[in-house]
Amino acid sequence: MNARTLDRAPLPAPSGARPTPAPEGLPLTAAQSGMWFAQALDAGSPALNTAECIEIHGDVDPALFADALHRTVGEADALRVRIADTADGPRQSPIAVEPPGHGFPLYAADLRDQGDPEGTARAWMRADAAEPFDLATGPLFAHGLFRVGDHRWLWYQRVHHAVLDGYGYSLVARRVAEVYSALAAGTDPGPSPFGRLAALVEEDAAYRDSPARGRDRAHWLAGFADRPEAPTLAGRTALPSRTSVRSTAHLAPERTDRLRRLAASVRATWTDVLFATQALYLARATRSEEVVLGLPMMGRMGSVALRVPGMVMNVLPLRLTVTADTTFAELTRQVVLGIRAARRHQRYRYEDIRRDLGLLGEGRALVGPLVNVMPFDYGLTFAGARSDAHNIASGPVDDLTVNIYDRADGSGLRVDYDGNPALYRQDELAAHQDRFLDLLARIADRDPHLPLGGLALATDAECARVLTEFNDTAVELPPTTLIGPIEARAARTPGATALVSGPETLSYAELNARANRLARHLTALGVRPGALAAVALPRSTDLVVALLAVLKAGGAYLPLDTAHPAARLTAVLDAARPVCVLTDLAGRAALPAPSARGTTPAVVALDDPALREELAALLPTDPGRALTPQHPAYVLHTSGSTGTPKGVVVPHSAIDNRLRWMQDRYRLAPGDRVLQKTPTGFDVSVWEFFWPLREGATLVVAGPDDHRDPARLARTVREQGVTAVHFVPSMLRLFLAEPGAAACTGLRHVFSSGEALPRDTADAFHRLLPGTALHNLYGPTEAAVDVTHHTCEPGETGPVPIGRPVWNTRLYILDTAGRPCPPGVPGELHLAGAQLATGYLGRPDLTAERFVHDPYGPPGARMYRTGDLARWREDGSVEYLGRTDRQVKVRGQRVELDGIEAVLATHEHVAAACALVREDRPGDPRLVAYVTPASADAAAEAGGPDPAALRAHVAARLPEAMVPTAVVVLDAFPAGPNGKLDHAALPAPGTAATSGGREPRDAREEALTRLFAEALGLPHVGVDDSFFELGGNSLLAARLAARVRDVLGADLPMGTLFQAATPAAVADRMHADGTADEAALGPVLPLRPAGAGTPLFALHPAAGLGWCYTALLTHLAPDQPLYGLQAPGLRPGDAPPEPYASLEEMAAAYAERIRGIRPHGPYRLLGWSAGGVLAHAVAVLLQEAGERVELLAMMDGYPSGQWRERLGTVEADALAALLETAGCAAGETPLTREAVTTRLGAADSAFATLPAATLAAVVDTAVRTTALTRGHRHRVFDGDVLFFTAAAPRAETWLTRDAWRPYVTGNLINRDIDCAHADMTRPGPAAEVARAVTAHLGEKSG
Amino acid sequence: MALTLDQIRADVADVLGEAPADIPDDENLVDYGLDSVRIMTLVERWRRDHGTEVTFVDLAEQPAIEQWVPLLGART
Repeated sequence: MNARTLDRAPLPAPSGARPTPAPEGLPLTAAQSGMWFAQALDAGSPALNTAECIEIHGDVDPALFADALHRTVGEADALRVRIADTADGPRQSPIAVEPPGHGFPLYAADLRDQGDPEGTARAWMRADAAEPFDLATGPLFAHGLFRVGDHRWLWYQRVHHAVLDGYGYSLVARRVAEVYSALAAGTDPGPSPFGRLAALVEEDAAYRDSPARGRDRAHWLAGFADRPEAPTLAGRTALPSRTSVRSTAHLAPERTDRLRRLAASVRATWTDVLFATQALYLARATRSEEVVLGLPMMGRMGSVALRVPGMVMNVLPLRLTVTADTTFAELTRQVVLGIRAARRHQRYRYEDIRRDLGLLGEGRALVGPLVNVMPFDYGLTFAGARSDAHNIASGPVDDLTVNIYDRADGSGLRVDYDGNPALYRQDELAAHQDRFLDLLARIADRDPHLPLGGLALATDAECARVLTEFNDTAVELPPTTLIGPIEARAARTPGATALVSGPETLSYAELNARANRLARHLTALGVRPGALAAVALPRSTDLVVALLAVLKAGGAYLPLDTAHPAARLTAVLDAARPVCVLTDLAGRAALPAPSARGTTPAVVALDDPALREELAALLPTDPGRALTPQHPAYVLHTSGSTGTPKGVVVPHSAIDNRLRWMQDRYRLAPGDRVLQKTPTGFDVSVWEFFWPLREGATLVVAGPDDHRDPARLARTVREQGVTAVHFVPSMLRLFLAEPGAAACTGLRHVFSSGEALPRDTADAFHRLLPGTALHNLYGPTEAAVDVTHHTCEPGETGPVPIGRPVWNTRLYILDTAGRPCPPGVPGELHLAGAQLATGYLGRPDLTAERFVHDPYGPPGARMYRTGDLARWREDGSVEYLGRTDRQVKVRGQRVELDGIEAVLATHEHVAAACALVREDRPGDPRLVAYVTPASADAAAEAGGPDPAALRAHVAARLPEAMVPTAVVVLDAFPAGPNGKLDHAALPAPGTAATSGGREPRDAREEALTRLFAEALGLPHVGVDDSFFELGGNSLLAARLAARVRDVLGADLPMGTLFQAATPAAVADRMHADGTADEAALGPVLPLRPAGAGTPLFALHPAAGLGWCYTALLTHLAPDQPLYGLQAPGLRPGDAPPEPYASLEEMAAAYAERIRGIRPHGPYRLLGWSAGGVLAHAVAVLLQEAGERVELLAMMDGYPSGQWRERLGTVEADALAALLETAGCAAGETPLTREAVTTRLGAADSAFATLPAATLAAVVDTAVRTTALTRGHRHRVFDGDVLFFTAAAPRAETWLTRDAWRPYVTGNLINRDIDCAHADMTRPGPAAEVARAVTAHLGEKSG
Repeated sequence: MALTLDQIRADVADVLGEAPADIPDDENLVDYGLDSVRIMTLVERWRRDHGTEVTFVDLAEQPAIEQWVPLLGART
């Protein structure tokens, strides 16, 4: 292990003087360390710069001013430092500050002769603020003084955030004003008012060791033990950028006063009101009832720091609950109490809370937006000239920081929105800011004791825009029905071709006559307006005739799919009570037996010769009927969330509106041919059937099962000259991949709906069929098929919108309080207008739940809640974002499945992806992704997508929680009857290709199943699954044999595999041969158990494996036994071990294990990296037990104090070191356990041959061991230590073996080994170590 | 008009949104919700109404009423 994983906890206070001289300068405070570390992560970044400009209205003597600056800086020792990395961590040391004109960092210029003096000065300041400081050399401040008018000056200063915070600025500015004024008046400026840096450092150290710190920690851990989400306006996180975007606004004094009055009325301050308003804004904009704001704390109350211009501030989380029925007064009270509680524990550092909660390693945020209120008194005068201060840069921005300045001069508030440019565009930031200030104004004018639900996030102008302007769709239409225009068309163009079905062709007159005759028969059976007739027919001419006949009789049709389970059919028939069922003889047989409580509907079998005879006798003319547009036209069943289907009753007026809009929009002409391929149970079929028949075009009926077969669809389109067709996006993708699709150039319109249309599918479409229009439509069955439309244009980028509302339709995107969302803010899509369904058949309860009062429409209007999440774009089109209920949580974290799918789809070997959470075992929800290969050719060449590589691909791009636990590769996604992806039919991971069967008996079987799976490219293989039945071939068999040899050390001749083709059989064969050695992962690795000498025990490094010590064997004395001690729980079958509470406890267990092999001394111990620390601890314990330790050899392991305050998290350090040890460039790999585990499993890793379970255990062990070594307090070993230093230059230049001296009574005998730390157990260096050990033992014995 | 101890306590209680009886003289007011904004409010109020010249730092350094009394020249 890399020595980086060692301790950074404080050293125990040494009782005597330390042998090394006190280092120069002072250590950093915890607050400074945070900033120092942030800078160390990106040394060239100017993000840690803070800058301010003070505008002086009057005359300034630049020489006196420079003198005042110089004096003030001279007084502020906290400012006058450089920060350098030393062997004892970063330390700050004083630097000399030269007088003005001799190196003092002051740039002065008279800009009055410039065209735009102010602009010139500002440009200079912006450029200067973008210059990073060099912490190691200093100075960490810079000044500018510009004359921009005869009586106007600008004083600019830039300071690194590691030495000054916002409050510190106010101290510096005040003192400069004071000194300058005194110098100008010729008086003495008086003694320095500043406290010393040393006092800050002392106070910080005292806190670190105080019981108060423990209490503070307990407070934060208790309050955040559930690790709450921290919603942000961007809805995602990003690494901090080098710059930030800013939007500045001012709150007029009059508005500020209103704010103060409101605050007083609820016994709070105006800042509490700002917090409450921001919480409300955030909660509404993110649809979260709980938010966590960042609360920057000055951190100086009652502290010496009040007088020190330094870096002290802290950020604390403020957790708030915001519901629609909370009042503003209550929310403000929550803020007051929350801040008060936080204040009592304000010294505990933000970084420490994140670390304690384990958020650091996962890269998760603790807080959302920061609200930073700076009330510091700034009414400064410079020799009588008044001034205003303006912030220019306030430090790094993770997400969003709202800085609020009250300059206490009655000029109101300045509100800066500073955003991370990786997350917010300037215009987005400004929109949030405008809206926030508008909300603040409305709150100030409102009774604070009213529920918050009455407040909209959107401004009045935005409300008007999204409610009225975007919904300007009113069109006057005649009151017609679905069927009326079809009859009118038949009368106008009787000879035109109405229908083509296979070889059969019907004219309008013929089709109309057949439908009329059947309608008259149905009327006789009792079909009439308001009555239902079920239709259970395959796609055919008879189906079309049947639907028309039902409508002509005035009834509403209800499609039935006889392939559905009988119970479902019975339930539908019982609930709907249709007058009759139109079917065929085969269908009649498939109908369920009448249930006891249902009345039996008449069955009309259209292919019954008797019926045909009967129909022939009936009149072929249009029948009369008392049908109105309000009567139902059809009833479609959708699957309810509970599994019970719901019948959606759609009136003629709704579908008539839809078809009239469609005709106006897309203009079907008599020559057009529309393909009917959607099953009748899905609403798309409604326009497929009736739109062409209303417009004199031709309906082309696809074969009964053709809708699933892209090749046959392509052929039909070409052969029948189809001009308009519909695809569900997933089917469209398959269609485009079909070689015949490119020839479908006769298509004029392709419609897509039913799922989100991916942009790449639209792009692929335009490439393949450049002359065809692609329309993305959206709508639920509850609103007559479609309510929005967008025609995709080539060259568009970003998500494909669902577009704008159709005629007489209003879209509302509402927040959780039912208020309109402004553009850009996601909300639930609600629909209102002409196309709404009547409701759910026989379910007034469900109807009332989903069809609710429309508060924004005309009196009595209803709106339908879609459950879909959407947002307005600025252009008035709508973007679909997913389901409100598809948001899932995995291990308490919100996961956007769409995001995972999008990332997987970017992989070159993936065509399509689907992610979901499945709970195959109750209580064990798992995130699983499914992918289809990019193309058959690519799959054949590259061996198909590799699940492990895909997981790594996701892990490299998304937070840990969004990395699927399994990726399953499927040839094709299972499709439901409507062509939509059928989620329920996706196989459970691990059963994709296997028989399931029993669990592996032992680690070897387990390992073999993994190797089989790997070779076959399957997610899982059962122990009894045959290699060849799962698609193995001789090429793959060769690959498998190679992997078995690598991982298990066993030869697996190809012939063996042909005889014993299952993991179980191979394991048996290996067992019989006695090949693979399971001990390789056991707690004791007997590297050389035989030999006359005293055994050498080698303690594992952090990763827990002792294999690295094999390299010592060849150069140790031949009779020197060697045992590697390994961490428990590494064997794939092992239960996870009980974690050790301390390194001391771990060492005790290992001492016990050593005694199991050799009950008494003398002992020889050796350890590399963390293993060295462990060996030291074991040696101390053995000595305590009265045993002799004759060798303690440590290979480049360093004591805990060396790591104090060095680096980020234990976890990240451990993982980085692990990667290094494995010879993997850390590079792209995020430091999460998942990602690192995946990376370690990659082919070029030294650990690649380990079974996956072991890899995971190795990663866990590395993190745990590292944490333990860091928390370890070394005791003293009595004797010499043989130390091996990795002498190659390293990044951690401060490491020194001398730090061991307090813990060793004897000599620290050093041997430099010319290699890097990670290479110490490679053959060459290991040989040197082994030789030195042998020599050392020889000397001792000799 | 010079400040009195009772007036100080009443003003502190007011900015904290608490009853004067609940504000002890000898406790750290930070624990009762005293923050920089509230201190600034007090500094300004007392400057305006009583002509005191205490600064933010003076009050923030020792945030307890009994410590403030001498600073504010108040009658007890």
